[in-house]
Amino acid sequence: MSALRALSVIVPARNSSATLPHALAAILASELPRDDYELIVVDDASSDGSPELAARYADTVVRLTGRRSGPAYARNRGAELAHGEVLAFVDADAMIRPDTLPRLLRMMSDHPGLGAVSATHDHASPARNLASQYWNLLLHFGDQRQAGTGGNMASPCAAIRREAFLSVGMYDEWRFGTAALEGIEFGKRLKDSGCGVLSNKDLAVAGLTRWNLRSLCREVWSRSALLAQSLGYQRTRSAVPSEVVFTLSRSLAPVFGLMCLVAFSAAFLPRPNVPANVAIVLLGAIALNLPAHLFFVRSRGLSFAIAVAPLHLLMQAISGLGLCVGWLLRDAVGDRAPDAATQAYSEVGVETWPPVPRAIGT
Amino acid sequence: MDPVGTEDPSSEPAKRRPAPYRTPRVALIVVLPENHVLSADRLAERLRAHGDQQVDVVIACAGQPANLAALHQSVGDAQFLLAPAGTSSADLRELAMRQVPGDIVTLLTGAPVSEAGADSELFMTS
Repeated sequence: MSALRALSVIVPARNSSATLPHALAAILASELPRDDYELIVVDDASSDGSPELAARYADTVVRLTGRRSGPAYARNRGAELAHGEVLAFVDADAMIRPDTLPRLLRMMSDHPGLGAVSATHDHASPARNLASQYWNLLLHFGDQRQAGTGGNMASPCAAIRREAFLSVGMYDEWRFGTAALEGIEFGKRLKDSGCGVLSNKDLAVAGLTRWNLRSLCREVWSRSALLAQSLGYQRTRSAVPSEVVFTLSRSLAPVFGLMCLVAFSAAFLPRPNVPANVAIVLLGAIALNLPAHLFFVRSRGLSFAIAVAPLHLLMQAISGLGLCVGWLLRDAVGDRAPDAATQAYSEVGVETWPPVPRAIGT
Repeated sequence: MDPVGTEDPSSEPAKRRPAPYRTPRVALIVVLPENHVLSADRLAERLRAHGDQQVDVVIACAGQPANLAALHQSVGDAQFLLAPAGTSSADLRELAMRQVPGDIVTLLTGAPVSEAGADSELFMTS
């Protein structure tokens, strides 16, 4: 790769053999001439042969060994090796369109004051199962409502000027050792530094991951708990309202209020009708989150909206629980940090490969 | 020069790794499918980019290189991975990646003979 290339595309990957070839092939199918960008894949200690698959497409493959370090860490290692003036971070389960990279570059070039541009989630998903369709549509719903100038870098594809990336201290690999919200935190920091961040809803990227009920529950739980524990609900909500946790939790307080009201009323009835009370609460929950359900109807029809309504309610409940646990953890144990051994290595300044995670500003 | 075959694709570099070390191991894979060439200048430029770092060079060829001796002279301590003629560029890359023990692996594919200049003939494969 030449040192003069304008763009470095960095793809963090962890056990992504199912989606990585599609994601990388989509990058190579870009309308941008191949010599105009370098492709760096950073493998986060995969055990499924992801580095070998990455080598079929990439200019550089970085193999991180040992235990999982997280996408924030992987992206930072990729950025350290990158030569481009603009860094584009593409997820290993994201399929960009042929015009995505040229458009990102054009926007950066047309708006010199813009530090970063992020794509949004496409409503369509190659995975046809209900959970994947629902999740991609939900992410798309948040993006469409809140796209514009926000601090959201939690996109499957985002480009940032290298200078801005370095000046704010890169991704926070210290607190975000797993894949959740590191882009939110980074975008917020970028915005706080005065850097322009644009979330462009005309640039949509399809998610390739096949979700199921279990993985959805885990994702919503970890995002909600981490958001409450590490980022702060109100502060993040004002900075990045498109985050899916806010889409899910927007109507939680009224729903909880409705549940309390129904339970209180039931106490005064001689023969409480439990099914009726549950039905009232469920209908109330759906009514209070009507915009999302109407969006599902508009996008996929009534039968789809009815099919995903219970799933959506479940995700809302999990998100609410996750937020509560996150708030408790924030008070009980404080913010997230690496384990004691990593903290000790970092304090002593042990030099090793892969490097010990660094806190912002050190 | 240690010619390396493709008989052992299952070997995993991570398993051979001894103790923790301070700096990443850097490797360069030169991919030469059939009728592809790479100029010595381009290879030297790429090696220079790594400065003083030690770089393990693996040259992955589809078929027998016509100029094995010349290749050996140019990159003395390179390893050669000789895959059957007709092996695609992507397959060569994947095979080589399995053999290379580097933490940071750069891959460089040669240009088709028709597009390459006369100075590139040094690395032409049959």
